[in-house]
Amino acid sequence: MPDDPRAATRDISPDDDPARSRRDHQAISQLADDLLPALIAKLASSGLGEIEVREGGWRARLRKPAAADVARRGVARGTGEGHPASGHSAGRAQPTSRSARAGEAAAEQEASPISATSPAVGIYHPRRDLSEGMRVRTGEKIGTVDVLGVNQDVLVPVDGVIGTSLAEAGEAVEYGQDLVRIELTERSPAPATEPVGELEAAVARGNA
Amino acid sequence: MFSKILIANRGEIALRILRACRTLGVGAVVAYSEADRESLAAQLADEAICIGPADARRSYLSAPSVISAAIVTGCDAIHPGYGFLSEDEAFADVVRAHGLTFIGPPAEVLERFASKEATRRLLGSHGLATIPGSGMLRDEAHALEEAERVGYPVIIKPSAGGGGKGMRLVRTARELEDTFKVARSEAKAAFGDDALYLEKFIDDNRHVEVQVAVDRFGHAVHMGERDCSVQRRHQKIIEETPSPALSDAAREDLCQRAVRAVVAAGYENLGTLEFLVDSKGDAYFIEINCRIQVEHPITELCTGIDMVALQIKIAAGEPLGLSQSDVVSRGHAIEFRILAEDPTKDFRPGSGQVSAYLAPGGVGVRMDSHLYPGYEVPSYYDSLLGKLCVWGPDRATAIARGETALRELLVDGVTTNIELHRAILANKVFVDGRVTTNLLDRVGTAPFVAAASR
Repeated sequence: MPDDPRAATRDISPDDDPARSRRDHQAISQLADDLLPALIAKLASSGLGEIEVREGGWRARLRKPAAADVARRGVARGTGEGHPASGHSAGRAQPTSRSARAGEAAAEQEASPISATSPAVGIYHPRRDLSEGMRVRTGEKIGTVDVLGVNQDVLVPVDGVIGTSLAEAGEAVEYGQDLVRIELTERSPAPATEPVGELEAAVARGNA
Repeated sequence: MFSKILIANRGEIALRILRACRTLGVGAVVAYSEADRESLAAQLADEAICIGPADARRSYLSAPSVISAAIVTGCDAIHPGYGFLSEDEAFADVVRAHGLTFIGPPAEVLERFASKEATRRLLGSHGLATIPGSGMLRDEAHALEEAERVGYPVIIKPSAGGGGKGMRLVRTARELEDTFKVARSEAKAAFGDDALYLEKFIDDNRHVEVQVAVDRFGHAVHMGERDCSVQRRHQKIIEETPSPALSDAAREDLCQRAVRAVVAAGYENLGTLEFLVDSKGDAYFIEINCRIQVEHPITELCTGIDMVALQIKIAAGEPLGLSQSDVVSRGHAIEFRILAEDPTKDFRPGSGQVSAYLAPGGVGVRMDSHLYPGYEVPSYYDSLLGKLCVWGPDRATAIARGETALRELLVDGVTTNIELHRAILANKVFVDGRVTTNLLDRVGTAPFVAAASR
């Protein structure tokens, strides 16, 4: 929720003028809500190392510093469209604390399993050849969700192997629902060092 | 009757529709966005389904997501509430194409009444007086010509607009020249349609609206009127019924003409005809709202009719089951819109966690709200936290009950406009029933805010 980016940026912007800093905080939180999820998804599905977007006087830059980060991003995506600040897990079966701040959320997510989630509300069709133990790569399509006859792709959020299926073929699924568990392999970087919040989501005030 | 209805909205109205479904014995599924996972409607519903992310364009405004949710949960109808997809004729059409029923006017009726300008002409031809105005403005020269004809001041309005958005008051030809292009690009940006029209601006007017219900068979009743003159920048804050601005004879005449006109024009389902009433008491038709309105509870308090249930029955093809003589409006009701806005900080909308919440009670008090202690008010949507409605056998009693209830109402953790309501209630202009739509903007809210903060 918007609390997180606001809290995170309080150190960055000078609080000398309350009205201005309020506006700044609003702008930052809007940026975080509207822009970051899309950017993170884009970064995940591309081979790019860094993305920067400018909007008005603001600049948001996302950087993929190390391989370790891939696992982090997977965690974020596994919990609903890579909304790093949202702090709630996908799927109704798995409610988590909605007021969790970024740090807590990150800690919580690291412990929770990673899943490929539904991109929309509709009927789920897994890829025919999908089987447990199969090795998959980040961004790989492992099924579709049929929304009024239009298929939306179910993508793997992180390199790993296919684990338990959480939804049947032909089952009605909701947006963000966990569909297939993705187990990390030994080759996947161990998710231990940095929390999600440090996914270099540097929202910096840009004068340039 | 339907077997199961998808509720494609949020906040208090999702809860209101859920209650109507349960009363009717109809199943209901609450469709919610990720930001509303913890909403009261989603929690209270027997069934709820996440249709998309917080961004309304990908959830509450996404026709494919909403319809897909209805289909996969086995619903046979969709209730759009107000706002979002509630008056979208293309959506209503697609809903029908998927074998579902849109709870509201049928698509072709929505289409007929989609353009405000065409609706004014249509209902004007069926006996309603309209404000002198233009047709669609071709260009700036045409706008100047039309403004000259109807006389300044004029108000420029986007044809596709609503809720006061994108309107511009212009007092001189020079102002019009300065404003026209901006208004056009604003309309394009806000509504995807840059069509504009203008009409004569009536200073010191009151906003009075007539509630009608028309079934598929052309049987119709009106349920009296509501006065929504307490506004700030065209946004309603307090509504009441009956209107203090109309005599009984004028009220009866206006309501009768309104219901005759909509039946003649082929309207169906619930509808609200909005009128501007000038200082002489003359009522000019402005627009029709083809949906359940935020302020419908005050009509329910006076008539005893469950309007959402009625709306659902009409959509299901049932006859109205009411004649005009069955609709008896008793007493006086007032609604206070409780908003997450800070009156001392230019009404900046707020969000945050509700740390404490206590709804008022007592005789003639109704609170429609989705709040609960611990609820996180999301920042993505409108600022309506709930509607406090009071009823009394007469206006003075309703005001006294309003004052008592507002004092009891407790919302902590989020800044609200509760104190502003109390200040307005205590103001002589309101007590005398003389508030005009421009009052708060003309005198500014500062005196009220000052009174409120004491």
